[in-house]
Amino acid sequence: MDPESYLYIGILFFLLGAVISLLPLPKVKNYTYILSSTGALSFALLSLHLLFATPRNLFSAQISSLFNLAFSGDAISGFFVLTISILTFAVSIYSIGYIRDLKNKGLMGFLFNIFILSMYAVVLSGNIITFLISWETMSIVSYFLVTFDREGKSAKAGLIYAVMTHIGTAFIIILFFLLYRYTGSMNFSDMKNLSSQIPENLRNLVFVFSIIGFGTKAGIIPLHTWLPKAHPAAPSNISALMSGVMIKTGIYGFIRISMDVLGQGPEWWGIAVIVIGAASSILGVMYALMEHDLKRLLAYHSVENIGIILLGLGASMMFKSNGLYTLSAIALIAGFYHTINHAVFKGLLFLGAGSVMHATHTKNMEDMGGLLKSMPYTGLFFLIGSISICALPPFNGFVSEWLTYQSLLLGFKSPSITSKIISPLGGAALALTGALAAACFVKAFGISFLGMPRNKHAENAKESSLSMIIGMGILAFSCLLFGIFPGMVLTVLQPVSFMLTGLYGTPYQQGSLLGISETFSTISPMAILITLIVMSFATIIFISSIGGKRKIVYGDSWDCGIPALTPRMQYTATAFTKPIRMIFKRIYLPRRELKVSYLVKPFFVKSIEYKGEITPFFDRYIYEPVIVFIHRIAERVKLLQSGSLHLYLAYILITLILLLIFGT
Amino acid sequence: MKNWIGAFSVIDFISVGILITAVAMNALRRLESCVKAYTLNSWLLSSLIAIVAFMMGETHLYIASFVTLLSKGILIPMFLRRIVKQIKVTHDVDPYISNALSLTISGILVAVVYTSLKEGIFVAGFSKNVLQISIAVIFIGLFIMITRKKAITQVIGLLFMENGLFLAGFSLTFGMPTVIELGVLFDMLMGVIILGIFTIQIRRAFASADLDKLTILKG
Amino acid sequence: MQYFQFLIIIILSPLIQGTIKKLKANMQGRVGPGIFQPYYDLIRLLKKDMVISNVTSWIFKATPYIVFTSTVAASMIVPVITTESPFDVMGDVIALIYIFALGIFFMALASLDAATAFGGEGSSREMTVAILVEPMMMLSIFTAAISAGSTNISRIAGSGLIFSPSHVLALTAFLVAIIAETGRIPVDNPDTHLELTMIHEGMVLEYSGRYLALMEWAHYMKQMLLFTIAFDIFFPIGIANNVEISGLAMSSGIYILKMLFMAVLMALIESTRAKMRFFQLPSILGGAFVMALLSVLTYIMMGK
Repeated sequence: MDPESYLYIGILFFLLGAVISLLPLPKVKNYTYILSSTGALSFALLSLHLLFATPRNLFSAQISSLFNLAFSGDAISGFFVLTISILTFAVSIYSIGYIRDLKNKGLMGFLFNIFILSMYAVVLSGNIITFLISWETMSIVSYFLVTFDREGKSAKAGLIYAVMTHIGTAFIIILFFLLYRYTGSMNFSDMKNLSSQIPENLRNLVFVFSIIGFGTKAGIIPLHTWLPKAHPAAPSNISALMSGVMIKTGIYGFIRISMDVLGQGPEWWGIAVIVIGAASSILGVMYALMEHDLKRLLAYHSVENIGIILLGLGASMMFKSNGLYTLSAIALIAGFYHTINHAVFKGLLFLGAGSVMHATHTKNMEDMGGLLKSMPYTGLFFLIGSISICALPPFNGFVSEWLTYQSLLLGFKSPSITSKIISPLGGAALALTGALAAACFVKAFGISFLGMPRNKHAENAKESSLSMIIGMGILAFSCLLFGIFPGMVLTVLQPVSFMLTGLYGTPYQQGSLLGISETFSTISPMAILITLIVMSFATIIFISSIGGKRKIVYGDSWDCGIPALTPRMQYTATAFTKPIRMIFKRIYLPRRELKVSYLVKPFFVKSIEYKGEITPFFDRYIYEPVIVFIHRIAERVKLLQSGSLHLYLAYILITLILLLIFGT
Repeated sequence: MKNWIGAFSVIDFISVGILITAVAMNALRRLESCVKAYTLNSWLLSSLIAIVAFMMGETHLYIASFVTLLSKGILIPMFLRRIVKQIKVTHDVDPYISNALSLTISGILVAVVYTSLKEGIFVAGFSKNVLQISIAVIFIGLFIMITRKKAITQVIGLLFMENGLFLAGFSLTFGMPTVIELGVLFDMLMGVIILGIFTIQIRRAFASADLDKLTILKG
Repeated sequence: MQYFQFLIIIILSPLIQGTIKKLKANMQGRVGPGIFQPYYDLIRLLKKDMVISNVTSWIFKATPYIVFTSTVAASMIVPVITTESPFDVMGDVIALIYIFALGIFFMALASLDAATAFGGEGSSREMTVAILVEPMMMLSIFTAAISAGSTNISRIAGSGLIFSPSHVLALTAFLVAIIAETGRIPVDNPDTHLELTMIHEGMVLEYSGRYLALMEWAHYMKQMLLFTIAFDIFFPIGIANNVEISGLAMSSGIYILKMLFMAVLMALIESTRAKMRFFQLPSILGGAFVMALLSVLTYIMMGK
């Protein structure tokens, strides 16, 4: 079949799912997600066509002289369609079980399908008008999904999301206008060919606007403020999609404008992107460490991972402007590899968090504990997600971070001294990020899944339903697959690299090896995995040959002689991160309040109240002043809009009199 | 010609009467007196139209005059009186500004209208005063709506405005086609009925007929 | 022969530990246990029954194997006596650090699994130290990798580097990293069981029997590996670049000398320094980070 038919079939399935959800058929509603997973498969086939064929127009309809609804696809779109499809497929299956307890199933099914369709539409848009329509649809539908729970908190999160996303959209509209003004075309492909006509200053302006506009959606620091609020507010299957792929549409837009349409830019573009990436990754993970709300923690990690993606993309831009196209291709592949990896493992982690919430009815890690025993599969998959996001071998995160390291390390080959200095610093930032992420996931997994249950809900937690486990299992398996078969992902990435840099990229695959010929370096996650397995068996045989068969006695943990340890004596998440909070206090600006009341001062303490918090720097010192300022103006304006009928009539009278006096 | 001039002075006389009833509204506090002022205003309007009809010999103006008398002079006042009785409010107390001030302001309004329309766009008509007076009545009606709190006085203010508009339209065109005038009158009637019901509902919901209670609906 | 050079690490690592202990005891005027004591300890532990806390999950049981095998995997990558290392394609220096991180990750998880405060404390502190150490280790390795033009550790070792100012800085930083990673004074005290000071010991507190043996052994291996890596990337003089017997014998001799030097150095540091307060660690580790940073910048600016 030709790609168009895959597109139409995919759209049909999603629309069918959306419509059926709205019909009053309570039994059927649970299964509309089968339709969306089928639709995702159809789109996946489309993406393969797009990746390995020349760019083509998929659909075009002239609505008016200026407005042409056009969808087209090339390798970049194909890659993003594939990413969305993989996650959608797993999330759809997960949703079958997940939505069972949801109140508003019909609406959920409808919004779910439209949301996914709008994301596909964004990455397949052929011109700016279609892009803006799809982009806005996606924003609005996701706004409804954020506020789906109808709680006060999610309403506020939704408001912040709506405001931020529209600020971003404003910048995008301006930059589109600039592009249109100087190229006279609305098509991305024509714009690309004519982009050399744009004056240098305006190119820079477009670049800056694309960082702000698309960066808001992607959640770069300091435009990330909506992300840790909105993502946790949505139902978990939606959080997975939002963190996994929706923020990637921001990355897509950035790539489309700054790397595809504008082509090659000056060196400082790449350096700016690297700096932003480094800042986002370090600060993102640092704030994640201080979160005890499981989903907020994951949301902050999205900020971190977007930063890592930008490190790769920035290095690619930097190399390109220095004329090092081979290196540019490596860095680009690193960035794209991490994009698809992040979609998979962040999706998995959010689904895992959803299962945990489903079972324990809380997002607060301090109330969990010991869940690995009651939820073995969820626990295993969450662990796999954690290992992947911490970039530990042999899972997928390791491969993409390794590629990013390699590309940053190769910065020393650049002729410019700034690039030479900035790239190892980026590498150091990545190392710090990696270590912080590991600490964060030791906390996230250790506190919530290990040890003793901290309350009743955690104690009585039950494993999730089969479809939820399968949904998570697919993603966990993909984490392993993308890790041990990097060549598979490389095949998909090379067309993208060819399109943006003119080269297929030199990370090569040979057997199970992934190598970079420029640094003569290779890794083989597969070999590492096999070594781990073989050596484990060898160790077991060795031990039993020396030690023989020995008994295992089960007893209590070492309790220093106290009769029994209680769950309250375990290390808490707050305690776990205390040293980090102390060491990085210049960043966290922690505050604490201690209230002690005595029976007999100073010997007998009656109660101690402890309160500790970190200062959310960006919210407090950037956003709050702006909000206060706007509120102050609004208060002034509000006097005009008092709600008094009399005052409104007075406005009319005054206007009429003025008209009478000055009009005649 | 002499006759005409005499007739014109009668028209001037009546139109000044219209203005005075409107200005007097500002000083009236009893709701029934307000309704009476409006009734008088409508009767004067109707008679003005009748005189013009007599002078011009236009039959359709008689109809306009009669319909005005019927609706604005009889039906609407009757309806208003019923509302006043139903809402059991007799006085429109504590207005936003005092009587003296509101009289002064309405005087200023009239002056402003007269000075701005001194040269005037008005050429074809029968009196130099009628247009200015009608505009002034519109403004005073609006001003009444601003200063009064009770919903019912708002309605009366609106009715004054409408009378002013009617007069202005009449003075410029010697009366609109009958069908349009009938339509406007019918609209007016319906408007008053709706507003009346509205007033009663407001009273029921807020235990007061004061419109400033509506501000609590604001978010 | 080159296929089995990783066995050197596995077999000799307890000996290094014993040597350091012996040297330390001598420096402090004690007799101390013999240099083969760690072997006796390991065998004794392997022959013992185990007591396992009943709140633990499978993570607790899998961790010793993961820690041990990941360290074995790391030692397969590292060239010990010859750069003709057949397994080095499995990973480079960056991968090496991440393989170590895999072990640390599971160790930190396992110590949370027993639900005791000691474990949590050890886990929390270990991760904090890792946060401070990893960037610095990565930067100091960057210097070597940039100057050798590769991150493949055999290639770095085989490139016959000339010792330059930037390398001195990087090596200093790397030594600090070794001290921190192996849990030695002044970062951690390996001989303590006092809850206020322990990091590594806190993490393995719940382990007994063969699991403890694996954890300890892995720890010795990691120590020896880090020594080896330090020489491989900063001072590879003497390492054979072929697999001929004469070359290997020569290389082995030099390797033993190098390890002895490190053992003396470690014993010296441990004997002359006092353990630092935990929250003073950022000053020493931060200092080392700045040194690593300077080494990269120096290399870039001076070209050597």
